Amino acid sequence: MTQPTVFIVDDDHAVRDALRLLLKSVGLPGEVFASGDEFLAAWRPTLRGCIVADIRMPGMSGLEMHEALQQRGCRLPVIFITGHGDVPMAVEAMKAGALDFVQKPFRDQDLLDRINEGLQQEKSLREVEVEIDELTARLRALTPRERQVLERVVAGQPNKVIAMDLKVSQRTVEIHRARVMEKMQARSLAQLVKMMSRLETLRDT
Amino acid sequence: MLPYILPGVNRAYRGVPANALWNVLMTADSGSGSAESTSDTGGANFRALLQAAVDAIIVINEAGSILQFNPAAEKIFGFCQAEVLGRNVSMLMPAHYAQAHDGYMAHYHATGERRIIGIGREVEARRRDGTVFPIDLSVGQVDLPGAAHYVGIIRDISARKRNEQEMRDLQERLARVGRFSTMGEMAAGLAHEINQPLAAISTYAQTASRMLGAGSSYDPQDMDHICRQVSEQARRAGEVIRRLRGFLRTEDAGRQPLDSNALIREIMFLAELDAREHGVPLTLMLAEGLPRVHGNAVEIQQVILNLIRNAVGAMSEQADRSPGVIIATAHHEDGGVEFSVTDYGPGVAEDIARQIFHPFVTSKHHGLGVGLSISRTIIQAHGGRLAFVPNPAGGAIFRFQLPEAFED
Repeated sequence: MTQPTVFIVDDDHAVRDALRLLLKSVGLPGEVFASGDEFLAAWRPTLRGCIVADIRMPGMSGLEMHEALQQRGCRLPVIFITGHGDVPMAVEAMKAGALDFVQKPFRDQDLLDRINEGLQQEKSLREVEVEIDELTARLRALTPRERQVLERVVAGQPNKVIAMDLKVSQRTVEIHRARVMEKMQARSLAQLVKMMSRLETLRDT
Repeated sequence: MLPYILPGVNRAYRGVPANALWNVLMTADSGSGSAESTSDTGGANFRALLQAAVDAIIVINEAGSILQFNPAAEKIFGFCQAEVLGRNVSMLMPAHYAQAHDGYMAHYHATGERRIIGIGREVEARRRDGTVFPIDLSVGQVDLPGAAHYVGIIRDISARKRNEQEMRDLQERLARVGRFSTMGEMAAGLAHEINQPLAAISTYAQTASRMLGAGSSYDPQDMDHICRQVSEQARRAGEVIRRLRGFLRTEDAGRQPLDSNALIREIMFLAELDAREHGVPLTLMLAEGLPRVHGNAVEIQQVILNLIRNAVGAMSEQADRSPGVIIATAHHEDGGVEFSVTDYGPGVAEDIARQIFHPFVTSKHHGLGVGLSISRTIIQAHGGRLAFVPNPAGGAIFRFQLPEAFED
């Protein structure tokens, strides 16, 4: 995991330079890129933090860069900087899933607030990802039979019904059930149900 | 051998024997009655011609005294014949000509060097009420025994001049509308161009203030850098506005000798706005040692900008935007300079190509389609021609030539 960083993408040297110094003055790590292409080339799935990008750039626009990043599975929040007349573009950016946009010239606090929001959002997103990864790993450790038992237990079926359903003895179901609780690291049935419904909601987001 | 009227004078009375003319000239003072008494048919024809001519015909002697003043002259100048006969012809000229006229005549008598005789030219004349007006004047010389006479044929060209001026004014106004319309289309790009330095300045200043705030420490080099940048960016914003104003100025700079390559370099700032946004590279191929051309700088720049923007628009539809748009100058075979803008876009469809210079014909989704029409009007008013040819390598070439400026 790398350190959370603010990635600045702006074709204008002066704007880039000013933003770099602004980040430095508040002690945030920042990296600057002169074009969407440049950032795409540098992007790795392990990068953490958020992106501040000019919406109007020669060659690849900010919107195009955002789309390309999303296609590669990049989930870093994007804050767009827009010019005065670029409201339609900004609306489009919001629809495409941008975190927010600030109009140029902006109050530095407004931008810093958005950046902090972006970093925060990315952090919790990252935590959710870690949680999903963890739960998915536990699920993968189950045998197919244990998986069948888990599904039925979570659905609220008693052991007797499960045994009849799977054409095994109640004793066998009990053994599978104990194994499931162990592998899923659940201390109670209630916790197991909660875990599974949480995984479902997380995956939906 | 009888003397004849010299060539260079209106064909209508060339060949009239000078003795017939002489008779007419000599009898003018005494009125038409005595003129009729002559049996010479040549003289009668000449008198009829004087009476019927639409152009003013004035005959003077070597001293500049008026001997003949036909009805058309009476109408144009507002004097009747009796008021002018025997008086110096300078009374029909505005002060600056009048003062110089005797000198001109003396110069001619002394040297035989022709400035106007046998040649027509545009000069100014003065009516009875003092108004000065433009005329076409041609002067012929009649050599009579012992004395020379001069026949001036005068056409009042004030109406033509007025029309020409009106046309010019209209064309200039149209060109100005075109420039404003172009800037309107480029407004977002221009706003961005001004906003960039403003955003940078604002961020620099706020950062400096943050650095200077209580409990903060900063690198003095950073602070120095920020101050320099703020100043530099303020100049940059000012420069955008200065150039924009130059392009949109409403006062007419008029026509003057211009450096073609400098014109192009100056307008590249605006052309690059569009080109950069569409990712189309612009390349200059400017010939050296070009003659200066005669024209209105802003209008020619407007044409160049328009052609470049069209070319960039055509290229932006292509997946491959290389080699981009080439803007070139070259020596034109007839003297002067040829400008060309070459793109490697999809080219112009045949049905559009036929009427490409007509107003409101456009293949673009935005814009009125008046750019090329206005551009052609501007180039025509400069004595050039704007033409379209397909690019053999695919795409379009627009070119125009401007005449060389002859500096006084």
